[in-house]
Amino acid sequence: MGVVKAQLRVRSDSRSSGVLPLLPFFTFTGFFLIWPVLAVTLKSFRGNNSEWTLDNFRPIIHNGPYFHSFIVSIKLALITASIGSIVGAFFAFVIVTYVRGRFKNVLDSISAVFANSGGVPLAFMFIAAFGSNGLATKFIRFLGYDIYAGHFTIFSFTGVVFVYTFFQAPLMILVFQPAISGMRKEWREASTNLGASVLTYWRRVGIPILLPPFIGAFFLLFTGGFSAYATARALTSGTVSIVPIVIGALVDGNTQASQANLGASLAVGMIVVALVVMIGYVWAQKRTAKWRQS
Amino acid sequence: MRISPLQKWSIVIFASLLGFILFILPVIASSIYSFQKPGGKGYSFSSYTWLLHQDGFLASMGTSLKLAILAGILNISLMVPSMVYLNLNGQRFKSLFDFICILPLVIPVVSLAIGAQNAMPSLLQNSQYELVFFFVIIGLPFTYRTLDTALQAISLKTLVEASRSLGASWIRTIIRVIVPAIRGGITGALFLTFALSIGEYTITSLLHWETFPTWTVIASQQNILGAIALSVFSFVSAIALLSIIALFSKKGARQVEVEQ
Repeated sequence: MGVVKAQLRVRSDSRSSGVLPLLPFFTFTGFFLIWPVLAVTLKSFRGNNSEWTLDNFRPIIHNGPYFHSFIVSIKLALITASIGSIVGAFFAFVIVTYVRGRFKNVLDSISAVFANSGGVPLAFMFIAAFGSNGLATKFIRFLGYDIYAGHFTIFSFTGVVFVYTFFQAPLMILVFQPAISGMRKEWREASTNLGASVLTYWRRVGIPILLPPFIGAFFLLFTGGFSAYATARALTSGTVSIVPIVIGALVDGNTQASQANLGASLAVGMIVVALVVMIGYVWAQKRTAKWRQS
Repeated sequence: MRISPLQKWSIVIFASLLGFILFILPVIASSIYSFQKPGGKGYSFSSYTWLLHQDGFLASMGTSLKLAILAGILNISLMVPSMVYLNLNGQRFKSLFDFICILPLVIPVVSLAIGAQNAMPSLLQNSQYELVFFFVIIGLPFTYRTLDTALQAISLKTLVEASRSLGASWIRTIIRVIVPAIRGGITGALFLTFALSIGEYTITSLLHWETFPTWTVIASQQNILGAIALSVFSFVSAIALLSIIALFSKKGARQVEVEQ
């Protein structure tokens, strides 16, 4: 009897595919993720007397400080994602090809620390290393190059670019590794047997296959650089006017209602930019998946 | 078409050198800097002892640890059962689930924070524990990927059917069969959430709470050397901790081989 009962239970397990077991997840993310995003979107369309309006978006579209902050943010994200993805891809390639076993795990963990727990500590460490009296600055000066000879300071836009690369490249190492280790030996052997040189292999096989995941990872880095707040805030104490810092200043100050609505519309503007980028990411992921099927 | 050993070694050496300059040098430079005496001459622990005498130091550290541990636990207890079900017979919801899990990477954290300010009931806004929920949300994409990899590596269906037909309840199956089988993935997800929560600054500062990172920024205005010492300490200890775990987790090594 017991066996029959248990078998019935197994059968009923596989038949029941209701939403009920997923309800905690959907409730949780609904309340703490979807609802805040909806709320900020709704607020961005409200005026001072909570009437519906598009006025809050006017400062973003018209040429001015808010419009400019979006340009700075996008520029920052583009530059750091470009440098980070190229440097990171190189490291990912070397790690996948030449590093094995436990040491690879250690490198992965270090990359994870650099990529994720950056934020505030990163900013202060770079001040210590590359500030005008920093030890790395002195070391480089000793080698014959003064990074402070020009307009560079660690607290400027260039400084932020420099520090962001420090977490963008390790993120790329983590994200891009699966793509490289997914390259089959057989592809290489096949192309060698057909008489291809190393160069031809990369030009005709390697790069076309790696390009979609590379672009996907680039988009991911872009969103990361675009929305990062902590590092820039701690490093420049708010003088480089990227969108998150402008929003932070609006929230921190004794804001009037109109400015609170402006903060909401800036936040929605950020979501829109990130969504556009993510559409690119999804497209790249689909192209990547095509090669993984067989 | 094989690359010659000379080329191979020059690539490896170049990469190591570049990695050293880009990533290790700043860490070493700031570590040495953090031991400098305030005047600049000589070395001492003074920046570190300064920290210990600050009022906010232990308090904010305690708050951060508490919130991070809670976030880790909540994350695991929410995600493990959901993802087990999803992999077994929740295929219908897979694409929606995937979409929600990647969403925290898309939605800028600043926007989420502004939304939270407007949307959360005041009961929650008045308690620092509201941060726990948002730490879980921020950790979602990473937990999802870690757990998914771990679940793909085991034959989940067979395990569950065996356990269920031997008469175990669902809860028992998850706790006694599945959790031990994906232990590596769970530890990984736990540590990731913990690390993200400990370092979280954006939501915390925009919602005006004081944790370790926000306290560091405030302290830096009084004593930049102290803030540097603090940063070096937290960064280096995170690297050391995770490296030790990676070095001694056989499970992890085996999993990576399976993936390849």
